[in-house]
Amino acid sequence: MSTHDHNARVPLAFLLPGARARVDALDDAIDPTQREQIIAYGLAPGRPVIVLQQHPMTLVMIDEVELALEDSVARLVWVIRK
Amino acid sequence: MTISAIALVGNPNVGKSVLFHRLTGAYVNVSNYPGTTVEVARATARFDATVDLVDTPGVLTLPARSDDERATMRALLHEPLRAVIQVGDAKNLRRTLTLTALLAELGVPAVLALNMHDEAGARGVTVDAQALSSALGIPVVPTVATGGEGIAQLTRSLADARALLPLLHYDTDTEAAITDLASRITQHAPHPRLNARGLAILYLGQDSEVEAWLSEAAGENMANIVSARAAAQAKGVMPAALAHERGEAASTLTSRVTARTEQASPLLAHRIGQLIIHRFWAWPILLGVLFALYEFVGVFGAGTLVGLMENELFGKILNPAVTAFVREHIGVVWVADLLVGEYGLWTMGMTYALALILPIVTTFFIIFGLLEDSGYFARLSVLANRLFKLIGLNGRAVLPMVLGLGCVTMATLTTRILHSPRERLITIFLMALAIPCSAQLGVVLGLLGGISFTATLIWVVSMVGVLMLAGFLAAKLIPGRRIPLVTEMPPIRLPLFGNVAKKTVGRIKWYLIEVIPLFLLGTFIMFLLNQFGALPAIIRAGEPLVSGWLGLPPEASAAFVMGFLRRDFGATGLFALSHQLSAIQAVVGMVTLTLFVPCIASVMMIVKEQGAKVAAAMIAFIIPFAFLIGGLLNHLLRAVWA
Repeated sequence: MSTHDHNARVPLAFLLPGARARVDALDDAIDPTQREQIIAYGLAPGRPVIVLQQHPMTLVMIDEVELALEDSVARLVWVIRK
Repeated sequence: MTISAIALVGNPNVGKSVLFHRLTGAYVNVSNYPGTTVEVARATARFDATVDLVDTPGVLTLPARSDDERATMRALLHEPLRAVIQVGDAKNLRRTLTLTALLAELGVPAVLALNMHDEAGARGVTVDAQALSSALGIPVVPTVATGGEGIAQLTRSLADARALLPLLHYDTDTEAAITDLASRITQHAPHPRLNARGLAILYLGQDSEVEAWLSEAAGENMANIVSARAAAQAKGVMPAALAHERGEAASTLTSRVTARTEQASPLLAHRIGQLIIHRFWAWPILLGVLFALYEFVGVFGAGTLVGLMENELFGKILNPAVTAFVREHIGVVWVADLLVGEYGLWTMGMTYALALILPIVTTFFIIFGLLEDSGYFARLSVLANRLFKLIGLNGRAVLPMVLGLGCVTMATLTTRILHSPRERLITIFLMALAIPCSAQLGVVLGLLGGISFTATLIWVVSMVGVLMLAGFLAAKLIPGRRIPLVTEMPPIRLPLFGNVAKKTVGRIKWYLIEVIPLFLLGTFIMFLLNQFGALPAIIRAGEPLVSGWLGLPPEASAAFVMGFLRRDFGATGLFALSHQLSAIQAVVGMVTLTLFVPCIASVMMIVKEQGAKVAAAMIAFIIPFAFLIGGLLNHLLRAVWA
């Protein structure tokens, strides 16, 4: 993991629509059960995501899955911009 | 004849229930909304009368975490399974195979139905079924369940169902822990069909159903199994790491068997899907949907159709004919009155149920079915999320709430799609309090709409205000944390006529079975009260509250008595008084009746879902609260609106 390169690591909630990124880590502050679910949806470390929109919720595309995340969760998903 | 079972398992919203219908002919509710199946359904297979096909709720994660996942796990543990048909979404193979990786550990014979491969194709995704089949060691059949494609081949392939090849090995420490646990399970709690290794993995992952099964089977030896898990955890074997490794293995296999071609332009369905939750366009679209709902249910259903049924069919043709027939053939006056009198089972009970209520619920359920299947509701939960945050819920609760506008009883059952007991409790409470069902809504709009738009608006604002206030308080008082919304957007699809029709017919049947006996019972009670002269006594007893506090004519007490049976029945009673009500009285009466206890059927459903204690507490709160709000509104309106 790119712990030395903190500049590249941003919360998913901060990316603009159209941005492509790779999931780096899910913050420990996410509720454990919800964390498992998010990973099961495909938003897992190492996976590529495309941001579709940020309002009213963060909407991302992972493979062929559109996933909507509330802002409070999208702020806790760390990604690396491509 | 020995009965064995074949279970359909898979992720949410992959088409298990459609496939179930194809394979059995039995219809279970199908929607383009994850979590539609909340209970295990079973029916005899078309292809073999000795086989029970079992439809299970979709699982996002196993080990099981939610109620529906636990229901699926129970089916795997307890059903006499001959085989499992895993239903997977071809365009989402990674998630499908993550589940396959776990099924492989359980050692149950399986086939994989790669469903919706047409949608995958439209998105430029092709899966090499042959290669996947040899990697997994089981038959893999591409299907389009909605179109019946691949069903015959799937049925044939069941003869070749076999245990899956393992998809992965975990790291050395984890493998050691699994082997240790598995040998203890084999010794103390062997399962007749499932591999000890799979059970060990699920138990390590803290699956509560597997834990319950093991402790039942192992008895006092369970301590031996518990200590092995504790030892593994102490060594750092974490459930999340196991799930992660299954995901990685699924990912690797997915990229090996999947080919993607870049699409030149996004699909129309994608664009529509995004417009629906666009920060600007979402709102005009929502207004349009609401307007269509109003036009179809309010104007066409409650206006045109009810008019035709009530005035023309029942008023002019059926009721005069039935009345004449009964009066002519039944000599005993009170029996004739019971059937066709003022409070007659036919003239009041059946007429209300069929002429007034049926057209309204039918039109409502048609629109609801269309919205469900199009994929709109899942997106509506995204739009509603911010509002629902205020009342301690997340947007997922929008589906039961909107369904509650059709039938609160049915919606109470549907709260099972919500993820936490706290969300379910708050939602059920709010629906019992402030969500009028379509029958009641029809009566309310009929009465208040006839008075003025302002009257209707005051009613709407009061209801929304009470909903938000009560929700806000409930969220503060009921312990537990709110869960933020994370949800998948199902693809936007054109609803299939056949499915919407089947769903609507199923719901109407459900509704009528519930509503007609209650209407008849209610009519019968009213008849008795009237016959024995008890109504005047009740009217006198209720006078201080009804006339003094609410400012309604004393006869309105009767409406509240009727309201105990069904709110809409009470509202209909008020409707009958409408010529002697002022605008304020009509609004106050309707607000009080809407908040007042929900119908008996929904109270029984609350008892079933939440227990008698919770139901009693809700009723004990709701009745005084309804009168409190009604009275306050009465005094407020008299001060400012007279």
